[in-house]
Amino acid sequence: MTKKNTPKRTVTRRNVIKRAAAFGLVASVGPFIMPRPAKAAKTLKILQWVHFVPRFDKWFNEKYIKEWGKKNDTEVIVDNISIAQINARGAAEASAKKGHDMFMFNWPPPVYEDLVIDHAEIYQEVAKKWGKPIDLAVKSTYNPKTKKYYGFSDSFVPDPINYRKDLWDSVGMKPDTWDNIRKGGAAIKKKHNIPVGVGLSAEIDTAMAMRTIMYSFGASVQDANSNLVLNSKETREALKFVKALFEEAMTPEVLAWDASSNNRQMLAGKSSLVLNAISVTRTGESQKLPVTDNIWLAKAAKGPVRAIGLEHVMNVYCIWNFAQNIEGAKKFLIDFIDNYKQAFIESEYYNFPCFAKTVPDLKQLVAKDERAKPADKYKVLDDVLDWATNVGFPGYANAAIDETFNTWVVNTMFAKVATGAETIEDALKVADAQCKRIWAKWKEKGKI
Amino acid sequence: MTPPQDAGTAAMAMAPRRYFGHLIDSEEWLGRAMIGPAVVYIVLLVGFPFLLALFYSVSNITVGSAATKFVGLHNFKMIMENPSFWVALKNTFIFTIVSQVIVLVLAKILAMALMKEFRGKWFVRFLILLPWVAPVSLGAIGWLWIFDSIYSIINWTGRALGIFGPEVWPIWLGQPTLAMASIITVHVWRMLPLATVIVLAGLSSIPQDIHDAAQVDGAGFWRRLFQITIPLVLPILMVAMLFGIVFTSTDMVVVYVLTRGGPYDSTHVLASQAFFTGIEGGDLAEGAAIALFLFPILVAVAIGFLTVARRSEVA
Repeated sequence: MTKKNTPKRTVTRRNVIKRAAAFGLVASVGPFIMPRPAKAAKTLKILQWVHFVPRFDKWFNEKYIKEWGKKNDTEVIVDNISIAQINARGAAEASAKKGHDMFMFNWPPPVYEDLVIDHAEIYQEVAKKWGKPIDLAVKSTYNPKTKKYYGFSDSFVPDPINYRKDLWDSVGMKPDTWDNIRKGGAAIKKKHNIPVGVGLSAEIDTAMAMRTIMYSFGASVQDANSNLVLNSKETREALKFVKALFEEAMTPEVLAWDASSNNRQMLAGKSSLVLNAISVTRTGESQKLPVTDNIWLAKAAKGPVRAIGLEHVMNVYCIWNFAQNIEGAKKFLIDFIDNYKQAFIESEYYNFPCFAKTVPDLKQLVAKDERAKPADKYKVLDDVLDWATNVGFPGYANAAIDETFNTWVVNTMFAKVATGAETIEDALKVADAQCKRIWAKWKEKGKI
Repeated sequence: MTPPQDAGTAAMAMAPRRYFGHLIDSEEWLGRAMIGPAVVYIVLLVGFPFLLALFYSVSNITVGSAATKFVGLHNFKMIMENPSFWVALKNTFIFTIVSQVIVLVLAKILAMALMKEFRGKWFVRFLILLPWVAPVSLGAIGWLWIFDSIYSIINWTGRALGIFGPEVWPIWLGQPTLAMASIITVHVWRMLPLATVIVLAGLSSIPQDIHDAAQVDGAGFWRRLFQITIPLVLPILMVAMLFGIVFTSTDMVVVYVLTRGGPYDSTHVLASQAFFTGIEGGDLAEGAAIALFLFPILVAVAIGFLTVARRSEVA
């Protein structure tokens, strides 16, 4: 039998390059010419955080958006990212002028005012059915200087005091005033070697806690007309108080915390008091940690001037002005508010509505929770609007407030004083200089 | 016989194929085509952002700006008036110099140990390379738990072994000196594998004859180390150090994951401060100015190191 004379296939440079080129061509052109499955007429892309309560994301991503999408012939795509990545991702989308139609920030984002639509129309439409939004929502999404709503807030998260009832009972005190927190915290630390856990780090919980103390001492970063008033007698008093609180009732661990460190400290039984959302107790309940029953909630503590607290998280949806589906995004938000009672329940009372009428029985719901021990643990939140305010109090959350907040100027100032790294005057002078520079910049841009 | 008309058509059809074939076979053109993607990559992902950063640093741009204007050197003036900037600059030098010295010494020791034949050598090499292969954020998060204020394995082990008394509980990331030491430790852990591999490659390239001859002449370990080994691997060491210095002084991952610049801005390096100012704070212009501050220094360092490397190569 004669051997068939077929050409021998060898690996040559020419063959490799030709095949690589053909593969590249197919890979790059293929997706455009391949048949694709039928899709809804429109697409709506939403970016938001990974909720601290997993049940909320499950309901929102797997049920709510699908039902809404079916009714509105829209494919709704939700991307969830960690809260720590929100700012970087927001900056990336703003720079590229591409990304999602709707971006949810967990704090007011006035620096993006020029790149978002005016959300006034959405507020007006929702108000027709559900009445006016709460003041906290307006102060966190409206720029009185430019008369523009740079976002739409559906909800906020209260920031109550979480404390160990057994420990506070053991020293016969209640954390109802800041002075009691200092004295009681010191007594508990001495007796049980368990400190108070108020953060002094570059993170959101510290930022809220320090402002809470400032406001209750009559201090603030700005006044009602957006004028810088950080350098004041009241701020000095607040700084003096935090230094005493740190020295008497805390440990240096709070200087390197992230946003979940206080949750861990409390649930590990290593803290007598933290300022946080109800994520502490909810986590404890779902993990069935024995310490949870001893963690109770309290309203904002009273300072020398007032009893006031902050929102812990302010959910603000922004529709980019370069979004592909602006109308769809507007409709989504309007419809979402119509369903807000369900969102409140699915968030396990974490997201409080910015349109109070959407959850008319809120007081009854929080007064009796089947998972909480005691069942009325969350009742302290029923009048949260009376003691919760916005970042930027007594004014609006403007761009200068936002930059000051996100560069942790206030957090750093308090940490330096508390540890004795700087004197009150020096730390305040540096923080004030930083704020002056920030205020001058945003004034020049015409945003405050 | 093919009609003349058909032959002409076929020849015309063959012409582009021949031309393409000619290009593929040409060393000159193929070389250009192969290097092309790398050049495009560098221009798009390094050159363009660099020029953009230069532009940002002399503008008043913010993350949400629709329009920007030229402000000259205003941003540089502003950052120099901020005490935190000087702390970050000082930290950048400390972080870079201390970590690179430690990496260099440890890499040399490890590489010399790995030159010897011993049982399980491949496994040791695998372990040494592991930190380089693992994603840095994953490794750093592991370290975050090691340094955690409540669950620190160092503290619990120290207490169990009686090294730490009942009152001793170091807060690794909550005290400025300990926090900076922790950052340097993690960075050394991260950089050591690559440095070891580079030094190992350098050591392997020295012919054994030279060591043998020196040994016959009576040269001891230290003499051979300083007069033969180090001078011969110096060009490679210089390039490794240059890479290490540039990489370390422009990196923020470890600082970002472990301390985010805390406590009270005492562990910020320029890269992390640029990120917090430009991205988190939204002031892109000032962030760019901070990031660019090191550029002239690094260029000078690069020129210096490469010059030394070339001279030692000629020698």
